[in-house]
Amino acid sequence: MAFIGQVALMLALVLAIYSIGANLYGARRGLPDLVASARHAVWAMCAMVALAMCALWSGLLQSDFSLEYVASYSSTTLPTIYKITALWGGQQGSLLLWTFLLTLFTAIVAYQSPRRNPELSPYVLAVMAGVAIFFLGMLNFVTRPFELLATVPREGTDLNPLLQNYWMAIHPPSLYTGYVSTTVPFAFGTAALITGRLDDAWIRSTRRWAIFSWFFLTLGNMFGARWAYEVLGWGGYWAWDPVENAAFMPWLVMTAYLHSVMIQERKDMLKVWNLALVGLAFGLTLFGTFITRSGVISSVHSFTQSGLGPFFMGFLITVVVLYTGLLLIRVGDLRSEAELESYLSREAAFLFNNLILVGIAFAVFWGTIFPVLSEAVRGVKITVGPPFFNKVNAPLGLALIFLTGVGPLIAWRRATFKNLVQSFGSPAVAGVATGLICLVAGIRAWYALAAFSLCAFTLTTVIAEFKRGVVARIHMVNETPPQALANLVAKNNRRYGGYIVHVGVLMAFVGIVASSFFKTEVKKSVKAGESFAVGPYQLKYLDLSDGDTAHVSTVTARVEVSRNGREVASLAPAKLFYKKPEQPATQVAIRSTPESDLYVVLAGIDDKSGLVTFDVFLTPMVFWLWAGGITMAIGTAFAMWPNAREREAIAMAARRRTSEVMALPIAPGGD
Amino acid sequence: MRIKPRFLLGGGIIVLAVGYLIYTAIMNTAEYYLTVGEVQARATELQGQPLRVAGRVVPGSVSWNPSSLTLAFSIAPIPDPQAGGVKPVSSVTSNPAQQFKVVCTGQPKPDMFAENRDVIVEGRLGADHAIAATQVLTSCPSKYVPKKPS
Repeated sequence: MAFIGQVALMLALVLAIYSIGANLYGARRGLPDLVASARHAVWAMCAMVALAMCALWSGLLQSDFSLEYVASYSSTTLPTIYKITALWGGQQGSLLLWTFLLTLFTAIVAYQSPRRNPELSPYVLAVMAGVAIFFLGMLNFVTRPFELLATVPREGTDLNPLLQNYWMAIHPPSLYTGYVSTTVPFAFGTAALITGRLDDAWIRSTRRWAIFSWFFLTLGNMFGARWAYEVLGWGGYWAWDPVENAAFMPWLVMTAYLHSVMIQERKDMLKVWNLALVGLAFGLTLFGTFITRSGVISSVHSFTQSGLGPFFMGFLITVVVLYTGLLLIRVGDLRSEAELESYLSREAAFLFNNLILVGIAFAVFWGTIFPVLSEAVRGVKITVGPPFFNKVNAPLGLALIFLTGVGPLIAWRRATFKNLVQSFGSPAVAGVATGLICLVAGIRAWYALAAFSLCAFTLTTVIAEFKRGVVARIHMVNETPPQALANLVAKNNRRYGGYIVHVGVLMAFVGIVASSFFKTEVKKSVKAGESFAVGPYQLKYLDLSDGDTAHVSTVTARVEVSRNGREVASLAPAKLFYKKPEQPATQVAIRSTPESDLYVVLAGIDDKSGLVTFDVFLTPMVFWLWAGGITMAIGTAFAMWPNAREREAIAMAARRRTSEVMALPIAPGGD
Repeated sequence: MRIKPRFLLGGGIIVLAVGYLIYTAIMNTAEYYLTVGEVQARATELQGQPLRVAGRVVPGSVSWNPSSLTLAFSIAPIPDPQAGGVKPVSSVTSNPAQQFKVVCTGQPKPDMFAENRDVIVEGRLGADHAIAATQVLTSCPSKYVPKKPS
């Protein structure tokens, strides 16, 4: 198996090198056969990496400890599902998954784009093959997944217990899909710069890829937050750890790109900016992999420190230098005729939204690398923790929510006073009213007041947009309201999908603000039968019970939860002890309602005194963060869905091209 | 796109605002991240400062009171793994002058906390080599590189 995997990876590397050469040479010299063969090489490369992945899976499933990877990240008692997920539990395997996704997306582009973009396609594939060469080079020569052990151990060291969780099955693949798919817009952007075809073709071709990438980055971040919430037992979901930041920064930049691209499509502005953003998003995914793999920045996510750092740094610098160079060469061709006319315009709102998103990304970047910088410059390592990120991003977040409300409604070019009153009159009233209600309800934290008011303002603008569309359809096409709503979304899926995403963002924002400002924590050591209060709840600790398997032993506490004298839940927080790595872990018990989450951790058991320590968090409205995440995913799915109009346009472009090709031999008189 | 000066002003204000936020936030929230040895060397200057200190828990120094949630222990410099200090038990210094006493109150004892583990202590440095900690973080032992049979 190891041999098959090793050979497959080597062949994939050879195919990648061939495909880059054949694509570039074929395109320059106009040799369609060579370009076609380069395309086939891309498909073969993808198949080879898939084969290597299957080989590693087979090693994991058979507990073949002659493979160093299997011995390090699996064991005989590991449940089958985690043997499968162990493929991305360690460094070599996760790079293999990364490479597989990259070659898969390259294969899909090789299938789609020759018909849609015959001029750009070979260059796009060459760029993607170039990225694949780097990753395949790492897998073949630097960090090899099929490394063999001289002496075969009888048992593996097992997967880290924190990774033995169902989120492990979906979080890393989602995040990696999001990361890797930023390569597609980047490759198209690079191809546009190389060929000088700087019209909207590259943007139209990658629009859905960009949304696809954003969809998975959103899910990846949300899943990661939920995982941290369920597994780590500290009551929070986001700690601004370098690894989280690494996933958050590309998301921010892609969010900016998805918005600024609309300005380019409609107004032919921001061309350089858009090309810069796709480069930045791709660079940040490399940077993220670099910081998590190099050990340069200390993180609670402990990865094995490895020699990968310099390679990633080198590749990152190469990419940044080449891309910036190309952009500078072409900057003269990217001028646009249109220009910004007024602060009170949609163009301006989108521009400011972009500046703020990139500003947040920059602040996160700065905070992440600050320890390294301060050590290099001043010789002392100075860290900034979550307070730094919260302080910087809180006001920027408010501004962003405000612009989320303003952007989609304000007039293009120049808004008149009448237009502003019409669009924002009732949302402003709703915002102020919400603020007053919160004030009367006893909320005094100014930030929470401002956040809730702005969310109400923005939500009202979205509702008004839906209402306007539905009313128009009812009058114009004579539909019933539900029909009108369904058709409105179906016929303008990108726009209304976007609005649904905005609603999801508002829900998540409200959840984040409420859960950060109004969280209470109670730590208590009690004996069996004793009770203690957490907010409106009474928690009664009943007893402990033991469980034991070959893999893990468990101590579970029974906790009875009552409110106003009535029992509402029975919770079972537990302490686990994994036997192979001899490592304890926590199993949190959560009672989740839209109003608040009761989060109970069995924090300690003292055998001498019989005291059991509980760490309990009462977190209001954290439910809405997850509900917002799901809403964002649904909205994005709507926006990604190909609609009839778009399909027709693509079909027409394809027909036009085929007829051109058919006409070709006749026009020059044949040969 | 040509940008009129008055719009550069608007963009400039946003850029400056972000810069200002970053600057003030760093001023208000930065903490020194030091090893036990570094704290040792600059103990007087660091008196009362917020710190994050990385060190190793000295065996035999741990006391845990579950009813008051008080965890007390000493930390010593983490031996350099390159210097052959793979076996942690013998390599932690027993010299009390190189150790710091840590008292952390009001937090449950972390799962991974144990003698000879590497920890990060967040808190302030007080007199007589004592750190009043607000949090004790344990680093994951999964950081180990799997033993290669030689």
